[in-house]
Amino acid sequence: MNWIGAKTLLNKEVRRFLRVPGQTLLSPLISTALYFIVFGVTLGRYQATLDGAPYVLAIVPGLIFMGASNNAFLNASSSMFITKLQGTVVDLLVAPLSPLALLFGFVAGAMVRGALVGILTWAVAMIFTGVHLAHPLESLALLLLVSYVFAMGGLLAGLWAEKFEQVNFFSTFIIIPLNFLGGVFFSVRSLEEPYRTIAMFNPVVHMVEGLRSAMLGTMAISPIGVAILLGFAAASTAVTYRLLEVGYHLKT
Amino acid sequence: MAAVLEIENLKKAYPGGMVALDGVTLAIEAGEIFALLGPNGAGKTTLIGLVCGLIRKSSGSMKLFGIDLAVDSLGPRSSVGLVPQEVNFDPFFTARESLEIQLGYYGRPPDPKRINEMLQALALQDRADVPTRALSGGMKRRLLIAKALVHRPRLVFLDEPTAGVDVELRRDLWAYVRKLRDGGTTVVLTTHYLEEAEALADRIGIIDHGKLLVLEGKESLMQRLGERRLEVRFATPLRELPVALRWGSLEDDGKRFVFLERHGEGPRAAALLAHIYGHGLAVVDVSTERAHLEDVMIQILRSGGGQL
Repeated sequence: MNWIGAKTLLNKEVRRFLRVPGQTLLSPLISTALYFIVFGVTLGRYQATLDGAPYVLAIVPGLIFMGASNNAFLNASSSMFITKLQGTVVDLLVAPLSPLALLFGFVAGAMVRGALVGILTWAVAMIFTGVHLAHPLESLALLLLVSYVFAMGGLLAGLWAEKFEQVNFFSTFIIIPLNFLGGVFFSVRSLEEPYRTIAMFNPVVHMVEGLRSAMLGTMAISPIGVAILLGFAAASTAVTYRLLEVGYHLKT
Repeated sequence: MAAVLEIENLKKAYPGGMVALDGVTLAIEAGEIFALLGPNGAGKTTLIGLVCGLIRKSSGSMKLFGIDLAVDSLGPRSSVGLVPQEVNFDPFFTARESLEIQLGYYGRPPDPKRINEMLQALALQDRADVPTRALSGGMKRRLLIAKALVHRPRLVFLDEPTAGVDVELRRDLWAYVRKLRDGGTTVVLTTHYLEEAEALADRIGIIDHGKLLVLEGKESLMQRLGERRLEVRFATPLRELPVALRWGSLEDDGKRFVFLERHGEGPRAAALLAHIYGHGLAVVDVSTERAHLEDVMIQILRSGGGQL
């Protein structure tokens, strides 16, 4: 593989979002901090614990998940879409960059942004809750896995989208609802049936619980959550690779 | 000379039946400037897009530097550069950064010396470190040229490279293209400025409706199809032409003799001129004008390439 080319694309992607830090890092951080204050501090008064941890602490992994997943998705989707829109995709297609090199550059760049937002969110939350991290390596691994899956989803959306409206479609109609119903602010296990069973079909539930387990250590890391993440990672990688290979919505 | 690009029976048809390229076969020789000409929608950009990996072919084969693109589509492209017809730029980066990125895409390590050389060659050095969105239209187009050349390609496609570029800079670019050719780079050029193709090209391909109508050396094509117009003004009007001059015609009430010299057909203009002086006709003025590529191209397009 053309590693210099792939690393150049990664480097370009990271420099691109660092050029507008107010929009790409500060803005999600402020949103997450507001969620933390509104839900964590106010609701925390009424609900003492969540999945065995103090409420204000228990929502931190979910907020990290939201920040990381949204930003990884947005970075990859908007970058690919804008590259198509402004015509600079020609540079990528003419150059000797394989589908794997393109996939690496876009996804790794988006993962850096997702993971950075996740880590900054954690750092801000720690100001309110004090430092608490049960399994640092597992937490980092899950954060990276979440960023990877959503970066890949973002790349897929960016490839598919032909209008600005379509870029936001996934985020507005799929990711945000699944996130809010995915147990970020509550425990789906405390829901009554049949809502509990229905909620368990939401993959975000398992991702949030996985991250919560790793960060808080109040329960064992769910192999289902990890398996779902790995499954999504494998499936989205295969589909995205194939679409890049055939030049879906890139070549005529 | 070895062919750097060999295209055989290349076809591109879109769903719905639109055929953009219809069985084109051609070879581009190393170190030549090849002008691909034709009206809008003729298939020029499609042909370039197919070779550069922007468009999927329907059928046919393409070999770059002797390597079949169906077998290895990436390797040979590390030695190809493209100036696309549409201006594109990434507003997040400066001209210098854009060139750094472009070098990286082609697997080349950073090379500040080469980048400065390109910025200088394309007169961008004074605006090298401002965001590309702040560049003028002409500068953006020059940046495209610099991007296409920064990795020292052996074959470069210039798809309308001087559209929107002022006359002085256009002449500078022509000189630069000739310099590239003299340095061994093969250049494939499409342009609407036929004067540009006439000034630069070694060989010419004329394409229309996706079919290659003519593929020939410029000099040979101009000699074969380009007419030379001879015009002689007489001091006294002639009532009729001497027999030897009847290849031409009298105009302007007998004051003007006009003759179109065609390759392999009729006498040479010089011979008729000798007759005029031989007959002792009083001449006020003589002018000759060689046909331009534009005239030749119109002739070819009108005939559809047949019987030329």
